Amino acid sequence: MAQAAGNRRERRRKTWSSLGDLGRKPTEYEVVTHGMNHTAGETPLEMGPDVHGNVWLKKYRDDIALKVDNWDEFRDPDQLTYGKYVRLQDEQEAYVDNLLEEYTERRPSDETLSSAALACLGSCLTPGRYLVHGQQMMAAYIQQIAASSYVANGASFQAADQLRRVQRIAYRTKQLDLAHPTHGFGSNERGIWESDPLWQPMREATERLLVTFAWDEALIATNLVVKPICDDIFLRQFARVARSLDAGLDALIADNLYRDTERHQRFATAACRHAIAADRANRDVIWGHVEAWQEAGEAIVVAGAKLVAQHADGMVAGEVEAELRSAWQQLQRDAGLTHDA
Amino acid sequence: MALLNRDDWYDIARDVDWSFSYVDRDEAFPEAWVGANGIPPEAWEDWEEPFRVSYRDYVKVQREKETGVGAIRDAMIRADLYAHLDPGHRASSHLHMGTTCMVEQMAVTMQSRFCRFAPSPKWRSLGVFGMLDEIRHAQLDLRFSHDLLKDEPRFDWCQKAFHTNEWGVIAVRNFFDDVMLNAGCIEAALATSLTVEHGFTNMQFVALASDAMEAGDINFSNLLSSIQTDEARHAQVGFPTLDVVIKHDPARAQRIIDVAFWRAFRLFQTLTGTAMDYYTPVEKRKMSFKEFMLEWIVKHHERILRDYGLKLPWYWDKFLLALDHGHHALHIGTWFWRPTLFWKPNGGISPAERRWLNEKYPSWDDSWGVLWDQIIENIRAGRMDKTLPETLPALCNLTQLPLGSAIDRHHLGKQQVEYEGRVYHFDSDVSRWVFELDPARYAGHMNVVDRFIAGQIQPMNLEGGLNWMGLTPDVMGDDAYDYRWARDEAEQPLQAAE
Ligand SMILES: [Fe+2]
Ligand SMILES: [Fe+2]
Repeated sequence: MAQAAGNRRERRRKTWSSLGDLGRKPTEYEVVTHGMNHTAGETPLEMGPDVHGNVWLKKYRDDIALKVDNWDEFRDPDQLTYGKYVRLQDEQEAYVDNLLEEYTERRPSDETLSSAALACLGSCLTPGRYLVHGQQMMAAYIQQIAASSYVANGASFQAADQLRRVQRIAYRTKQLDLAHPTHGFGSNERGIWESDPLWQPMREATERLLVTFAWDEALIATNLVVKPICDDIFLRQFARVARSLDAGLDALIADNLYRDTERHQRFATAACRHAIAADRANRDVIWGHVEAWQEAGEAIVVAGAKLVAQHADGMVAGEVEAELRSAWQQLQRDAGLTHDA
Repeated sequence: MALLNRDDWYDIARDVDWSFSYVDRDEAFPEAWVGANGIPPEAWEDWEEPFRVSYRDYVKVQREKETGVGAIRDAMIRADLYAHLDPGHRASSHLHMGTTCMVEQMAVTMQSRFCRFAPSPKWRSLGVFGMLDEIRHAQLDLRFSHDLLKDEPRFDWCQKAFHTNEWGVIAVRNFFDDVMLNAGCIEAALATSLTVEHGFTNMQFVALASDAMEAGDINFSNLLSSIQTDEARHAQVGFPTLDVVIKHDPARAQRIIDVAFWRAFRLFQTLTGTAMDYYTPVEKRKMSFKEFMLEWIVKHHERILRDYGLKLPWYWDKFLLALDHGHHALHIGTWFWRPTLFWKPNGGISPAERRWLNEKYPSWDDSWGVLWDQIIENIRAGRMDKTLPETLPALCNLTQLPLGSAIDRHHLGKQQVEYEGRVYHFDSDVSRWVFELDPARYAGHMNVVDRFIAGQIQPMNLEGGLNWMGLTPDVMGDDAYDYRWARDEAEQPLQAAE
């Protein structure tokens, strides 16, 4: 008995054997995230090598240009766990609930929106649910063929954030429709998304992303090109315009949603830096993908700047473009893609 | 102007499909991931959420659940109860964590597949909550197990098991890799959400939680109950999918469900049948595995088939026969091959336990007791080598379980098929039937014995096999009660060792 207890003490484990010797206590995040992708072997799924799932993972996850053999050493800068995520987002949602109460009940504001404000919301806010659903699908794709659970879980939370945004857009769409039933809120959006020339670069890029299956290109094109530019347009720049049109509620909601975007950007740029640190050659691979999507990104910049600027007096599309470009370049630098390197 | 209720805006939020014009929609939604198999895209407009939830409510409710589970965890860590738990119950918890945790994480990816490739935007949106739920389940299991590493190295297998080649884990992995990760959305929803999650695991979690509570493992019990509340919600996505498939392709629905039911049942016999009828202390057993199956799983399954106008599977009589025997076969098999396990099975054939088994399964003595008599004799005579294996068992090319483990010694028969020059062996004609429905899906896989014969496991003996399976001395299986049930001739139910 004493002997047994002694033995037990000797081989007491402090953490997962797979974490190896960290030289420190693992974080809660590491404990619940580490090494939870069991498909990293030669044949990913426990099936014959030729079944569809294995062929897909081999082709789009393993045989891609980006070569990183230590994704399990990547860490999400926000160290999100499920518990942390629902706590964080419950707080953000409570904040948005408060805004809605404030602007709906304490000082109702939808009824007094100007026609300029209504035009702006109808063209820049409510059609966004299609775009954001596209982003949601892409985040889910990045999750499902990620090489490591550290990457996959972060992408899952990103996908969930996108649903959050779709539902908040839908909420506002319905409120606006109730206050202004003749403006087509809730019914015009699909037509705008499918036909408005200024939305077409966003839709085209979204559709092209949905046939981009190589994991590295899907991640880079989504999180380093299309999504950050679109989020800048439809959250940050939009908030400026909305504020100038006294659509304060939508400006504040957009500000709040942009916090999710910033988190997605921390995640994606950290992933790029990790890949470059793992192998310098990955810098060129990432650059290659950014360049392949450069034209699409540029088209979104030009159309998006026009789309928001047309609603605000004194806002010049060219200036918005410049801002979008500079934020986009900063993001690339954050990802470790300095031009002179 | 007023605040809105969820249903005021919900229809707008799920109306997010559009007509593609820059790329081919079929390329963006490849058949292999959608799995519509000819069901036209418009048909999915009928797909209706079986439950509605807003993101806002989800994070609020789930945050509260997390706080609740966390409070009990903290209290239980302070109480340090683990060392006092019954060894049989402990084995159940090792088995559960090792074979379930990674499946939860795999379910994240299955749900994420729905979020990306499901043919209805309503389903793609709802998938997000399932995806988050499954991250929660994996992380709860990991945290629970990690907390107990200091007491028990076997909990390392919560994270490790699916990175090894332990044969039981391979059987679980093979099935779930197939129906969660290789399957298109429609098959995954029918096979996994509807048949496995809603049909089996949902009730299994209820039963396991109640057993754990009986055993005094409040923390484990509470974790299972909390997981089950999520499971009961998201497992419902199988139903609207079945609604659509029944309308357009009922034969396919029948086939997918019949295959999944058999395969899930065989794993269930291995993991739950053994734990319920052998590991749980006899005085704590409320129902036999067979009674549990008939009451909760079979009735439920029959009702669903009836409600949807489907037939009982052709193999129903064989299933009912296997229900009498398969888990007893798997118990004696896993116990005999105990060095190949990462948990300690309880032989559990004391006189009192034996009486219970014969009462629940009147033919038990004739089918199984005679085999255990031999083992007991060897244990009493100190011939332990005779109670241990020297080789690996022959395995089924479908279920990956030992040949002969679906039935008792009176019903054995060879089941094999030659396909493209290779001979495949099966544990039953039902498993053979599954293989023959879609041989290309299964034929490329090599089971543990195939790999052994091909020389992939070296040295080619049990030692080499154990090493290949990743079994280290600190976790390798041995009898949970140190064979006391065999030595003890008294008519007393066994008590926890020490
Ligand atoms: Fe689950
Ligand atoms: Fe589930």
